[in-house]
Amino acid sequence: MSHIYGIINVMITLPLEQRLEILADSAKYDVSCSSSGSNRVGRAGALGSTAASGVCHTWTADGRCISLLKILLTNICIYDCAYCLNRRSNDIPRAAFTPDEIVALTMNFYRRNYIEGLFLSTGVIRSADYTMEQLIAVAKRLREVERFNGYIHLKLVPGADPLLIAQAGRYADRVSINIELPSRQSLALLAPDKPRESVINPMRQVSALLIEAKEARKKSRRAPHFAPAGQSTQLIVGATPESDREIITLTEGLYKKLELKRVYYSAYIPGSSDNRLPALPTPPLLREHRLYQADWLLRFYGFAAHELLDEARPNLDMRFDPKSDWALRHLELFPVDVNRVDYEVLLRVPGIGVRSAQRIVQARRGTRLGEVELKKLGVVLKRAKYFLTAGGRYLGGIRLDGPRLMERLLAPTRRPARLDQLELFAAMPDTSALTGEL
Amino acid sequence: MTTYHYDGSFEGFLCAVTDCLEAGEAQPEFVRNGIDHTVGLFASNIREVVTVRGRAVAFRKRFIEAVSQEAFATARYAFHSQKPGIELLVWRYLTLGLQVGGRLCLMLAEEPVCSVNRIARHVSHEAHKYKGFVRFREVEAGFLYAQIEPEADILPFISPHFVGRVGDRPWMIHDLCRRQAALYDLKSWRLVREVELTAEPTLTATEQDYAALWQRYFQRHAIAERHNPKLQQKHVPLRYRKHLPEFESSGDPL
Repeated sequence: MSHIYGIINVMITLPLEQRLEILADSAKYDVSCSSSGSNRVGRAGALGSTAASGVCHTWTADGRCISLLKILLTNICIYDCAYCLNRRSNDIPRAAFTPDEIVALTMNFYRRNYIEGLFLSTGVIRSADYTMEQLIAVAKRLREVERFNGYIHLKLVPGADPLLIAQAGRYADRVSINIELPSRQSLALLAPDKPRESVINPMRQVSALLIEAKEARKKSRRAPHFAPAGQSTQLIVGATPESDREIITLTEGLYKKLELKRVYYSAYIPGSSDNRLPALPTPPLLREHRLYQADWLLRFYGFAAHELLDEARPNLDMRFDPKSDWALRHLELFPVDVNRVDYEVLLRVPGIGVRSAQRIVQARRGTRLGEVELKKLGVVLKRAKYFLTAGGRYLGGIRLDGPRLMERLLAPTRRPARLDQLELFAAMPDTSALTGEL
Repeated sequence: MTTYHYDGSFEGFLCAVTDCLEAGEAQPEFVRNGIDHTVGLFASNIREVVTVRGRAVAFRKRFIEAVSQEAFATARYAFHSQKPGIELLVWRYLTLGLQVGGRLCLMLAEEPVCSVNRIARHVSHEAHKYKGFVRFREVEAGFLYAQIEPEADILPFISPHFVGRVGDRPWMIHDLCRRQAALYDLKSWRLVREVELTAEPTLTATEQDYAALWQRYFQRHAIAERHNPKLQQKHVPLRYRKHLPEFESSGDPL
């Protein structure tokens, strides 16, 4: 492996701005962007704090936000995972940063308020443990030498020693390890160097450490933190044949059993002529968007995966959001009375989000709600009206049967196919109101 | 009908509200300093409001005890929108709160509560955006300097955030629209009015280097296959871009 070290030495002789470009290029397919979930006040005379809601600092030409300096330590990698841009066999420019360079970039970008913090990942060099140690060293320098108090997200290296993972969580706000491929078979086919256990075991360990640290901090406020913003992961969508049902069921398990903060979905972007991968004309962005909507239903709307998808319908309907789709299959439950039904039922009405439902519940304690009041509350009735009554009156006009209602819902809501998960925030003016959302 | 002429600050407004309540005023007019007003011509009299911090604090205490902390925060956010007529709207909100107490927060489907809530949300949203959009530049004079042009008067909301965040350098956030600035001197921040730049501040030698690195990073970070400038514009409307170095053209004509 000494030749890899040689390559790194060569690679850090390129000018800094060129290496920044190469390593930003190599990092951008990791979609995790959030800087939320950690709430740490600043220290006098030092740099950095974290905001529970997270803060986006800018948006790139693809409409994705930049919150953290998302960068690789190096894009040299000993693995050859078919879906990955940085795979060993791919002919792309390679580069590396020194820890000092990353520290200087982070501090200087942060001080100018370009970013919320650092999201550091890397290709695997020499061994999993060696690579993990390099990432930890950067975080440690930032925290202990520079007294940097901003957000740090560290990537965990598959197969790294449990002791190193425990160490990473002491410096990082969030840690993540990407499952990437939703099934064992796909992983074996496309990432032969990365057995599923090497990904799942660290996630289990992190989950146990998170619970342990929380318990310890209940007893003593001086107990050390472990990744206070939790862990996340990413699944690539469209590179392998898994159905939406398999993906959403996996996601549900991750939220319930491993207490993940977020599961990200990344529409597969064809970048290889490898015949194990499908030749897609464009990345499946609409499918990615629908998966995010379904993900939101699991986390904030009380839905279970089996309610959204089953054996007979293994994939999400691309024409509707998954909540409308569910409601159209359960018309016997609607319309519901906006002045009476429980919060949990309101959440199941298409077009009513968490904030609208909260406002309705609060406002109806003060007054009876009709169409006018709902509009004043800012509730969007375009879809919701077909599923609501107020004061005994159906808000949807003429009662429609299933197929005609479906037509009605389709007509005005046809949206462009170029969507992105960030669209979801458009209707939510202040993201800080719902902690843990991002 | 009396017109209350106050200094434009939230404290000053609360003092004006206190004056109105003491005078048993039902239909007051509020005019802030520096705003030309024609309404004054028809007002039977004009009262100059003296801003006394203690009176504003006393009103705050009274309102929070009668209604809630949250309702007070809502009024404060809405006031800072500086929309025409906002004083009257917030006055109605505050006096209604003193009448109905805790029930005020259940009246969110009724006026004036729903309008005040909507405007407050708008201001709070803009303040949140600016937590991300403020861009400091290192200037020769030895501090960090940022320019902003927000719709609402958001400096009071974002300054505490930056005190906690950039605590190792003095800094100044300059609101060009209102000619005022938040100044941090490593101990605390304060608002300074009537701030005028005599010349563009001289940047440090490394400032341009970091701005250039940031620009490169920003450009390379976009995924070409997902190109979506409409979505980008939804999140970063053009009016914000003037002070964002990543949107500055590199100077080379195409």
